[in-house]
Parts: sequence; structure tokens; C-alpha cells
Amino acid sequence: MEKFYTILKYTFITLWTVFIVAPFLWAVSTSFKDFQSVNSKVTYIPWLDFEPTLEGWRVLVKSPARGGVDIVEPYFNSIFVTCTASLISIVLGTLAAYALSRFTFKAGFVRNNDITFFFISQRIMPPIVLSIPFFIFLSTIGLLDSLLGLVVVYIVLLMPIAVWIMVDFFNRVPKELDETALIDGCNPYQAFYKVVLPNSIPGLIVAGMFCIIFGWIDFFFAFILTFTEVQLLPVKVVALNSSITPWWSLSASALVSVAPLIIVAFVVERYLSKGNLSGALK
Amino acid sequence: MAKIQLSNISHSYNPNELSPTYALNPFSMTWENGKRYAILGPSGCGKTTMLNIVSGLVKPTKGKILFDDIDVTNLITEQRNIAQVFQFPVIYNTMTVYDNLAFPLKCRNFSKEKIDERVNSVSDTLKLSSFLNYPARKLTADQKQLISLGRGLVREDVAGVLMDEPLTVIDPDLKFRLRRSLKEINEQYKTTLVYVTHDQNEAMTFADNIIVMDQGEIVQVGLPKDLFERPKTTFVGYFIGSPAMNLFETEIVSSNEVNIGSIKIKTNTDLSKVKNKNIKLGIRSEFIDIADNQSNNTIKVKINRIEDFGNFKLLTSTIQNKMIKSKIDREKPISEGEVNLYIPPEKCCVYVDEKLI
Repeated sequence: MEKFYTILKYTFITLWTVFIVAPFLWAVSTSFKDFQSVNSKVTYIPWLDFEPTLEGWRVLVKSPARGGVDIVEPYFNSIFVTCTASLISIVLGTLAAYALSRFTFKAGFVRNNDITFFFISQRIMPPIVLSIPFFIFLSTIGLLDSLLGLVVVYIVLLMPIAVWIMVDFFNRVPKELDETALIDGCNPYQAFYKVVLPNSIPGLIVAGMFCIIFGWIDFFFAFILTFTEVQLLPVKVVALNSSITPWWSLSASALVSVAPLIIVAFVVERYLSKGNLSGALK
Repeated sequence: MAKIQLSNISHSYNPNELSPTYALNPFSMTWENGKRYAILGPSGCGKTTMLNIVSGLVKPTKGKILFDDIDVTNLITEQRNIAQVFQFPVIYNTMTVYDNLAFPLKCRNFSKEKIDERVNSVSDTLKLSSFLNYPARKLTADQKQLISLGRGLVREDVAGVLMDEPLTVIDPDLKFRLRRSLKEINEQYKTTLVYVTHDQNEAMTFADNIIVMDQGEIVQVGLPKDLFERPKTTFVGYFIGSPAMNLFETEIVSSNEVNIGSIKIKTNTDLSKVKNKNIKLGIRSEFIDIADNQSNNTIKVKINRIEDFGNFKLLTSTIQNKMIKSKIDREKPISEGEVNLYIPPEKCCVYVDEKLI
């Protein structure tokens, strides 16, 4: 029976791995193809099935004047917007989460859980609901079609994630840790940044990872709040498409787009394990 | 080091409700400078609340806290310069053992030399010297608790060290040694130590004075001997001592006699003015002995069980359906069936409405 479960387990893992990895392999293979190799017949393996070419990759860094699409600037725009918004969201979100975890708020019928839910509800709401308010808001303050405007919007989108993760994390950090720091001579602010925060690094990393992922992959707001001055990567990748789908450059750009997330995933993978997340303070 | 006064302190966690419940009922108490106190009581009786009020983690609903006659009620914990050790180890995971021990001194800007001296001294006492450069998170649970304890002891100038069942996770042998070390530290530095426990043996062996609490009330404060021999309430009699004090519902038969069933028991208490009906006689099992013959203050009991504890025998017997326990010298022969037990009048405690008279 145990052998049966082992076989079943490994079969499932193999199928899952194929399911996850196959599109990547397909994209890698396609990114080295040209029009002929994509459209003539089904091909997979370079040099055997088709002659590989870097054209799909070259097009990404060429300026439009030279027949390329130039995703370099949108790439750095995306890095700037995602990292800045994630950093600010983590800072604000962590402070909010600490307050929600440690202090009791009462305002009418509103309690801590309601405030936490209010933050999370910003993510539950369909993005389309926020599109017109955001558009009018950015337009009013003159930040439409600008990196700063996108940063502001992304902070609103990412902070709930940071609050959600960090409230849960701080709730699992025993209050006695803060109290011990106070007894040892810290004031409440020092207790937070000298003691509680260093012990919350796993939570911060996980929250940061989610902020980066959700910021990086957003297409909707990047699309409706920018026009000609500023473009982010997802919008530019979609813009690659034309009447004849350039599968080779789309595949290359998809791989380039996903690369930072894969790197982030590898770096923070260890913090996703239960042991590290639990804080292990006792 | 300081004299700590709790003046008319009471505390409720829901003071704004229509009928608030009190975790601590009003009381006043003084902890003298350099003495050792144990707060003893069952779980939920308000021991930890009392400590948290003294350390400033909880602000009392009513009353004042004074350190050396200075009102500190409105001072935050940081400004009170007090040390507190919790039941479970609380360590700074990201720091080494040295940094953990040095942290309270660094927060108060002590010099590097002074920090080194104090950390080395405390780590020697707690046998942590060889772990000073280890990451604190890699130590075992009892070593982590030693770090917590060390952080409490590392400051020489604290008003007092409050310990909330600090040795719960420590193994028995080390526990014994640590209690002795704490006593030595108290004697050497005259640190006021307050030790919360629900273990009466810990309290008895550690403290100069024991404070017994029950349901938010302080029921007795006194020396271990007083608590044992003259418990002020039936609760103290029941809570202190193992086995608990023998308690019998009784009636007054003369100015100094009560009865157990039909047998008169003489006491040294003046009962002439007692009118109440709720009367109990208490006698410790340690003070009951086997009588050679039936004379004054002896009762004939039916033996139910004899348990040999090595250094004594615990005799469980009944008299008119009332159970009585007595600790008997293990060398003393005990006959089968029935035996006469002597109840010394001077050791009898009479309780009216659960309170000693």
C-alpha cells in the first residue's frame, strides 16, 4: 500500500512539474525560432528540428525606428514602480499591521478586525470599480501618465497585501517580546524597530515578495492610467502583438518578464517554509 | 533597589462595562527593599496582573504604585527601571546570547566595560559563559529561559526583579540550583525579588514572605511557617501543604471544644463568643499522630489506606464517614483495621465562615 502511495505521489509530482515547466520550455524553444520555424510545422528541439535564431530577442532591445520594440525602458519603469510602491507599501503596511496587532481600536461599531478587513477589501473589490476614481484622482493631481502616479496607485493596491500578511505575522509574535523590550529599557518605538522588526524579517520578506509579484504583473492599471509618456512592461509586451502574432519575440519578452519573479521566488523560497514563518520565538 | 508600595490597588480589564469584573480587588501592600517575596495562588487568581501593574505593563484601574515613596503609577515601563521575567522564555532571536544579556544595559547607555563586566558575571552565575557567542535561538528551552533570567539580573540598579513562574521550563535539578543562585544574588546585591508561582514548595523554599492570592484577593501574607501552621482561611489551609489541611464541618460544644461527629475535640481557641453556624475545624496531617491509647483528643478511626512515601507513611482513614489524612513516622507500627489518632489542641485551627478565629 505504501509503495502504491509512493508511486502515486511521484506520478503526481512528475505531472505537476511537466504542467509547470512545459510552457517555459515551449517559450524558450519558441523564442529562438523565426517565422518559418513557427509556422511551417511542429518543431521543438533547436538544431535538430529548426535552426535557432536570436531575432526574437534582438527585437526587444532595438528601437522602433530600427524595426524593434525596445522593452528596456518599460522594463526599468516596471522595476522602478514595483520596487518603490512595494517598499512604501511594506513600510506603511508594517506600521499599520503592528498597530492593528498590538493596540485595540474602537470607533463606533468599528474594531481592529473591521479595519483589517477594510484594507483587505481593497483587494477583494474588482479593479474595474477603482479605475474611474483612480483616473479622475490622477488627472486632478496631474499625475496621469506618469511614474509617480502609478506608484501612488500601486501603493493603494499593494498595501492591503502587506497589512494582511504582517497583521497575521505580528499576531504570532508573542506580546511578551514587546513587553520584554519595554522592561529592558526601550521606548515603544525602539521596541518595535530594535526587537519586533528584526524578528519579523521572514514576514517582511514574504510580504515584500507578494507586493513585488502583484505589482510586477499588474496590467490593468498600467494600461488605463498611462498613454504615451510612460509605459510599463506588461503593457509593452501586449503591444508586441500585431496582425501576425510574433510568437518568437512574445516568448522572449515573456521569459524576460518572468525572470525577476523567478529570481525573487528562489531567494525567498526558504522563508516560505513553515518554520521560518512561525517566528519561533518561544 | 527600592521599596515598592502598592497603595489601594485594584484592576479590572473591563472597567467601562456596567458591572465590571475585577481581576484584582482593592489591596495595599509593601515590598521591602532587598527582601524576597513569593506570590502564590492558583491560575487566574491575579498574580500576573499584579506583576504587570508593578512593571507598568498594565495601568491599575485604581490605586497608586510607589517606588521609594515616589509615585510611578503614570510612568511607562521604560521609566520604571524594573526587571521582569516571564513564564516562557522570551529571547531576542536575532541576537547572540551576549547581546541578549547586554541589551538592557545598552538600552540604558552603560559603558562597554561595565556591560562586559555585568554580562560576564551574570553568565557565570547562570552557567551561560560558554554560549555567549552562540545565536540565542539555537539554545534549548531551559537555556533560553536562563537568558531571560539573565536579562532580569544583569542590571544592578533595578527597583526590583519580578519573576512570573520563571522556572517552569527548567529541569528540576537546575531549578533547585537556580533558586539557590537567586537567593545568593538577593543576599549579595540586596535586590528585591518577587517570585510568582503556583508551586508551594518553590514559594516556601525561596521567599522570606509569601503572599497567597485567590480570585483577585490577597488572602494571607506571612512567613512560610505561619502559612503552614495558622492558615488564615480554609482556602490557604487547603492550598498550602501536601496533602491539604484536614477540614471538618463541626459544631461548638463548649468554650474551647468542637465535635467531630459525637467526639469532642479540645482546641486552644476561645469559642465562647462564636455565634455563627458555619464552623470548620482544620488540622494538618503532619500534626496528627497515632495514640497509644484512647485519651483526651484522640479519635478512633477506620483505616482505609496506608501509602509509603519513603520518609513517611500517609494514613488515610475515616471517622463517621469523614476522611482524615495523617502523616505517620514510617518506623511506627500501624495496626490493621482501626487506630487511635491524637489531635493536638494547640495545632487545631477553627474557622468561622472560612476565616480563622
